[in-house]
Amino acid sequence: MNNKATKTNSHGFTVREDSSIGEKYFYTRHSSGLDIYVFPKKLTTYYAVLGTRYGSIHNRFRRDGDSEFIEVPDGIAHFLEHKMFDKGDGVDTFERFSKTGASANAFTSFNMTAYLYSCTSNFYDSLEILLDYVTKPYFTEQTVQKEQGIIAQEIRMGEDNPGRALLFGMLGAIYEKNSVRIDIAGTVDSIAKINADLLYRCYETFYNLGNMALCVCGDIECEKVLETADKILGTEPRRAFRVESVQEPEPRGVYKKRFTRHMQVAQPLFAIGFKDCDIPDDPKERMKRDQALGLISDMLFSKSGSFYNELYAEGLLNPDFGTWGGNEESYSFKSIDGESRDPEAVYRRLMEYIDRLHRDGLCREDFERFLRVAYSEYIKSFDSISEIAEKSLSDIMKGYDPFDWPEVIRSIDFDYVTKVFGQVFRDENAAMATVLPLDDKTKSES
Amino acid sequence: MSITKLEVARGVTLNVMETDKFKTNYLSVNFLVPLREETASLNSLIPRVLSRGSEKYPTLELFNKRLDYLYSASFSESVMRRGENQMIEFAAQFVDNVYAFDDTDITGGVIEMLDQLIFHPLTKEGRFVSEYVESEKRNLIDSIKAQINNKRYYAIARCGEEMCRGENYRFSAEGTVEGVSAITPESLWAQYKHLLKNSRVEIFFSGRCDPEKLRGIFAYMFAGGMDSIPELKTEVIRTAGEVREVIEDQPVAQGKLSVGFRTGHVLSDGNYHIFALFNELYGGSPTSKLFTNVRERLSLCYYCSSRPEALKGVMIVASGIEVDKFEQTRDEIIAQLEGIKAGNFTDGELESAKNALINGYRAHNDSPAALDGWYLSRMLAGLSDSPDDAAAKVAGVTREQIIEAAGKVVLDTVYFLRGTLLPEGEDDAEGTEE
Repeated sequence: MNNKATKTNSHGFTVREDSSIGEKYFYTRHSSGLDIYVFPKKLTTYYAVLGTRYGSIHNRFRRDGDSEFIEVPDGIAHFLEHKMFDKGDGVDTFERFSKTGASANAFTSFNMTAYLYSCTSNFYDSLEILLDYVTKPYFTEQTVQKEQGIIAQEIRMGEDNPGRALLFGMLGAIYEKNSVRIDIAGTVDSIAKINADLLYRCYETFYNLGNMALCVCGDIECEKVLETADKILGTEPRRAFRVESVQEPEPRGVYKKRFTRHMQVAQPLFAIGFKDCDIPDDPKERMKRDQALGLISDMLFSKSGSFYNELYAEGLLNPDFGTWGGNEESYSFKSIDGESRDPEAVYRRLMEYIDRLHRDGLCREDFERFLRVAYSEYIKSFDSISEIAEKSLSDIMKGYDPFDWPEVIRSIDFDYVTKVFGQVFRDENAAMATVLPLDDKTKSES
Repeated sequence: MSITKLEVARGVTLNVMETDKFKTNYLSVNFLVPLREETASLNSLIPRVLSRGSEKYPTLELFNKRLDYLYSASFSESVMRRGENQMIEFAAQFVDNVYAFDDTDITGGVIEMLDQLIFHPLTKEGRFVSEYVESEKRNLIDSIKAQINNKRYYAIARCGEEMCRGENYRFSAEGTVEGVSAITPESLWAQYKHLLKNSRVEIFFSGRCDPEKLRGIFAYMFAGGMDSIPELKTEVIRTAGEVREVIEDQPVAQGKLSVGFRTGHVLSDGNYHIFALFNELYGGSPTSKLFTNVRERLSLCYYCSSRPEALKGVMIVASGIEVDKFEQTRDEIIAQLEGIKAGNFTDGELESAKNALINGYRAHNDSPAALDGWYLSRMLAGLSDSPDDAAAKVAGVTREQIIEAAGKVVLDTVYFLRGTLLPEGEDDAEGTEE
């Protein structure tokens, strides 16, 4: 299916190649300590993303030399991301990018923060700006206050978003302790506790180059990327230190079976979460389990499967139905989301379906079909430079090699999938969040 | 990269972009008709019912299984508004045959499925299966009602509807609850047959192919072409009367402000890039007047941006704010427009806007779906220039041209979705856990 070779080029980059699809990437650790990945792609656009292993879940941590763990307000990683764009010299970061014609953005997820841009020209000039602004923090009480107003509006917008209520309702039901249950943006109250000192503390801890990685994709030369890194980051190794981020131990099984909220929606929405309580320590094993969980959700809940089609025919499900998941070292889950006039009936049917599969076994033909789908999805992911760079960065942050997927897919057999299914898809690992229309509330109260 | 237009049959055009840049190919078949109240709901329901089953793939399950085998090909059916036209789109994205690890003909397979989907629906007694029609009516009604779930888009749609209340633009391409409820299997079948013979059809293919062979396949599919080709036009109004203010209360946390303008510019004018550049400067990017003032300087919101519609000549500025900041935000949005009319922008800001617009235009080249959208709008405006052609014209635009373009933009309607929920903690919005 694919052949891979690893060799080193003249600039000290290691090359990894997947000849079956004609893709490769170059990797090096820059002398400053930053990991750099170059994905050559001859298209019109270029893309660069610089990420740090710091997300909303890292709210309790210490550095080498600290005796105590510090606990920081919820939403601070996201707040910090916003504040990185502000600079003391009066020049706004977006304005700098606009001079080179790049379109810049950033995002914060559970386990990482990423700064990115896309452009169709002046790639290396924009790369200078990216490496520069993310390595130069500037926080004052005044700029922090200004941001509190903006982010409060972002949070208020989220409060009206049924999808967000559903997501954190589901995570808050399956997780009791892990911070993945907390909204990435925090709350209006929690961000009010953020000040410049705390921001510097988080920055100094997590934004050290050894904790970060750069992925670039486009018609790019490795040598020029290195030159840019030398120019902005210097060639001296930065002080390396260890960051310890801890989560309170998470009990097995789910915290609550149900979460319900009434909002202005047309029809009930549901998210049924399954929590994986046996996360492997080894990244390669985690990658395999991650892929297996994806295969299982496809086998069980894809639109070509019997569960969806039966319930669709009965009018219990509509086309707004799908699965997704998230995982890293401390958490792993799959979610089955949709709209239904009767979410409890969907939940009941889903559990009966799973029971039946535990009894009668999974379908081998489905397994073969979704192996093919998984490999196809891997091929398809190489058509968009943003997807290549972002997906690869996300893999790298988890300790995965983005070119290992075909090998991982091949390593999975039916017995392994059956084993993982047996461990994860159980009643004690499942909970449901629902968002119900407001008029249901009136009805139930009257 | 250029696009080749091939006449397939009367009213049916094939647009081909031959390229080996991508691992996937993209194919869409688009039916275009005027957007009218009496047919909008019917046209909106048709692709949903078609997707339920065909002669060869009588169930959704069989259809989707076949897609899985075709290297996870993805199909989508959607209905959208283009100016005052309704477009029914069937689109597929699929891995090219060169990446198949067996002898599967993915492209051939996808075309065959598209043929089944559009031309060979499962029928009973010579028309659509009535239980499919009934269940898809329910799903479509649910989907129309669910527009309210996304307040941001709801407020934008409501503003457009209020602003164009006497124009065909007010109709939603999705149809209405009343319109869908009234549909019968007979009326739907009649409209389906009508659509197949009385639309303008644009087919778009990007990837590896033999264009002539492709044309032959579609010519066979569309045997004989259209009986009549509808005129696809959009009423353009370049002035506004007295400004209307519409306020609607809803139990939500954040207020949603949508400010609607008549832009005085449409694509068919031929110099739309000047207006597009004005828009970039005004509210199109993080360095725009709206972002840097309404958000960054005044901290009123998280988002504030302008979005024009190039065929209709309207523009809506959208923002999410605290309810008591309604007047202040509205006034600032208007003041920033007046500022540009008065030449209140630097050469640096203009340069930034040019860079952003050129970047945005050129980026179309990396997305077949974006190019499809680009050329469809151009076709409706009677144009055929490429994104690179448009990008090349941007650099030469002057300050004076921007001031002149801004001068044609007039305020029409202010719509405010007023949230009535108190901030969290002061009401019972919190979820309950059991």
